[in-house]
Amino acid sequence: MAVPEAFESVVDHFFRHEYGRVTSFLSHRFGTTHLEQIEDAVQEALYKAMKAWAYGGLPDSPTAWIVKTAQNNLMDQVRRQQNFEAKHADEWVRMNETVMEAEDLDEELTDDTLRMMFACCHPSIRQDYQVLLTLKILCGLNNREVARALLKKEDTIAKGYTRARQQLREGNIELTVPLGAGLGERLDQVLKVLYLLFNEGYTASEGSDLVRLDLCAEAIRLSELILERPLLRKPQVHGLMALMLFQVSRFPARQDEEGRLLTLEEQDRSLWDQRLIRQAHNHLQTASAFGQVNDYILQAAMAGVHATAPDFESTNWQALLGIYDAQLRLNPNPVIRLNRVVVVQKVHGSAAALRELDILSEIPTLQDYYLLYAIRAEAFKELGIGDAAREDLQTALKLTRNDRERAYLEEKLLTL
Amino acid sequence: MSKYLYLFRGGDGRMSELSPEESQAHMARWGAWMGALAQEGKLLSGDPLQSQGKVVEQAGAIIHDGPFAEGKEMVGGYLMINADTLDGAVELSKECPIFELGGTVEVREILPFQQP
Repeated sequence: MAVPEAFESVVDHFFRHEYGRVTSFLSHRFGTTHLEQIEDAVQEALYKAMKAWAYGGLPDSPTAWIVKTAQNNLMDQVRRQQNFEAKHADEWVRMNETVMEAEDLDEELTDDTLRMMFACCHPSIRQDYQVLLTLKILCGLNNREVARALLKKEDTIAKGYTRARQQLREGNIELTVPLGAGLGERLDQVLKVLYLLFNEGYTASEGSDLVRLDLCAEAIRLSELILERPLLRKPQVHGLMALMLFQVSRFPARQDEEGRLLTLEEQDRSLWDQRLIRQAHNHLQTASAFGQVNDYILQAAMAGVHATAPDFESTNWQALLGIYDAQLRLNPNPVIRLNRVVVVQKVHGSAAALRELDILSEIPTLQDYYLLYAIRAEAFKELGIGDAAREDLQTALKLTRNDRERAYLEEKLLTL
Repeated sequence: MSKYLYLFRGGDGRMSELSPEESQAHMARWGAWMGALAQEGKLLSGDPLQSQGKVVEQAGAIIHDGPFAEGKEMVGGYLMINADTLDGAVELSKECPIFELGGTVEVREILPFQQP
């Protein structure tokens, strides 16, 4: 199956998305203390919808149908509980009488989904639980699907989710979108979780393409949802969107027939999805217009440089070097500096790259990192110092256990 | 040409294991299967049934909540179709998505009501 179409098709998941929306809606009204019952009620509503709609076709407003049915299920469930308090009963009955206009309902559902996103990514919850809550509640995946997507065992996911839900419930986390001064940090945390989600899908080398692409599509969908609200249209959201769209545009080209991951240099660029690239550029432009720099914007800018080069040789290395420098000003991280050497070599030549590597090889954290030696081998090779190149490649091989990286290094050794 | 009744039993138990995604896909296959029957002019009518109801005995002397059938025996819906023979009706039922979830289809001929 051609991936761009698959990407289209995974975007349309009515039930899955309604699950997240309606669960958020009911949780906002009745509190996350009832989350487990709410989840059951929504599941059951979808199940009733399945039965009824298969026979009779879609109702006028499928969403309103699901909301109402889920609400009724929830009330039935809670009524059956002995500890049900009378004051709640009034509230619930009143709720049930509220009939919303379809348009208002849709707006409400969007707001509640955003509230739920901020709650799931609340700093008081462990980060891996934040990812789990997001996948289960907002993306409507069941344990089996989450396990498949995160390459974990199903019962590990089930146990983890029980604890994650407990943290959400016991943390007394309000279902609100923080506004004003509190927004920035909380929004960054939400974006971080979405980017984790995206990367789980994008970088996993196992599992089926469709499942992985699905995670990427969900991360993009939830980011789009954030951008629906003017107050949340911050540069970092556009930056993340641009970054994700640039990366996903390369999805069809990133593997060869045997499933081996291809480097940017090896990829067939005619397979890159130009429509996604255009969308990414638009977001990057919007993000840059704020006049602020952040990590997502810089990473997206880098991806943008690659996306506009017709082939690897004509990459604008000078521009990439400028972005690396900006990134280092923001975050003086030795690994970023090491990656920058590859671009230094393209712009200023191998001798300049070696001088930079001399400095970097003094940094203890890099001394056991295979990439330092792999990059230096490349510089030695260019300068015709084959022995030194071979020695570095052998050192690099000793330092990595990753099969993909080893295969890459072994190939380099052979072609030396 | 005669009329036949499909009684759908069971298949509900495993629904709870399905994700929203899988439910939707399952529903789409029901829709497609019934749509195809309708297109060929074979579908007469049909509805799903609520799982809860009442069982009335002895002219109402005993009324209880029911049916108490096990999940796999519970009638979840019915369909009336046109077919030439019982075998033909059985053949048409084989594509029914209920089998994916371990349910069954009971096929019965509907006898024409004849004026004496």
